[in-house]
Amino acid sequence: MTTRRIVSNEKTYLDADSKGASEPSNITPAVPASVIWKLLSFTFAMITLPIGSYFFTLKYVFNGNSTYAGALAAVMANVVLIAYVVVAMKEDQSERLEEEERSKKSM
Amino acid sequence: MENAQAPVFAPFFGMSGIAFAMIFGCAGAAYGTAKSGIGIAGVGTYRPDLIMKCLIPVVMSGILAVYALVISVLIANDIRPPPTKNYSLFAGFMHMAAGLSVGLAGLAAGYAIGIVGDVGVRAYMRQSRIFVGMVLILIFAEVLGLYGLIVALILNTRASG
Repeated sequence: MTTRRIVSNEKTYLDADSKGASEPSNITPAVPASVIWKLLSFTFAMITLPIGSYFFTLKYVFNGNSTYAGALAAVMANVVLIAYVVVAMKEDQSERLEEEERSKKSM
Repeated sequence: MENAQAPVFAPFFGMSGIAFAMIFGCAGAAYGTAKSGIGIAGVGTYRPDLIMKCLIPVVMSGILAVYALVISVLIANDIRPPPTKNYSLFAGFMHMAAGLSVGLAGLAAGYAIGIVGDVGVRAYMRQSRIFVGMVLILIFAEVLGLYGLIVALILNTRASG
């Protein structure tokens, strides 16, 4: 004897398709707003800080000694880089802490 | 005004120094940004949360362009039209050497940052402990551009002083 599928109880793909179609799709950005603000502020600092510090110190601090002002501009660019690396490392740690807390709660 | 120390074509060499600094420095920065950007795009499809840390090679490439920009501004400050300043051929060659050193050192550093950024970011996706090593390698690549900047700054002071 062979068994037969009960076709009337099974759902066709048409039935499955009608379910959940009215659900709105998830359109929130994958990157949180804080990260975008961090990136934007670092971009702004990278563009303005070296050039701004060059012209400011050339006029008011070093009184026309353009070599010191240029060296300071290069130093400021590296300061922005180090700040970026520190922020990126901190974000890594905060994410790990959050995950640990989540796993603790679930246990 | 015409003499052997300051011929009329002397500013040509100084201006070529400005052009070399910007062209080669920005070529290196562009290669570093584009090549590491390829790796970041590859990582971002699997681990979007790592993008913030993977952008470090892009920031470092940007710094290379800042080095070239600083030297270009310094050289441009020293060049004036002939009646106001007696621009010597020695200063012209010195400025060309400054521009070439920062430009080509930036090109070399950008090439290294691009390759290390691409491969290092992809490796970081699989093994997170490689991050510190990747940043150290990137810093050592970046320092190559800094050496070019230091030499160019010294040359620039010799030419003007």
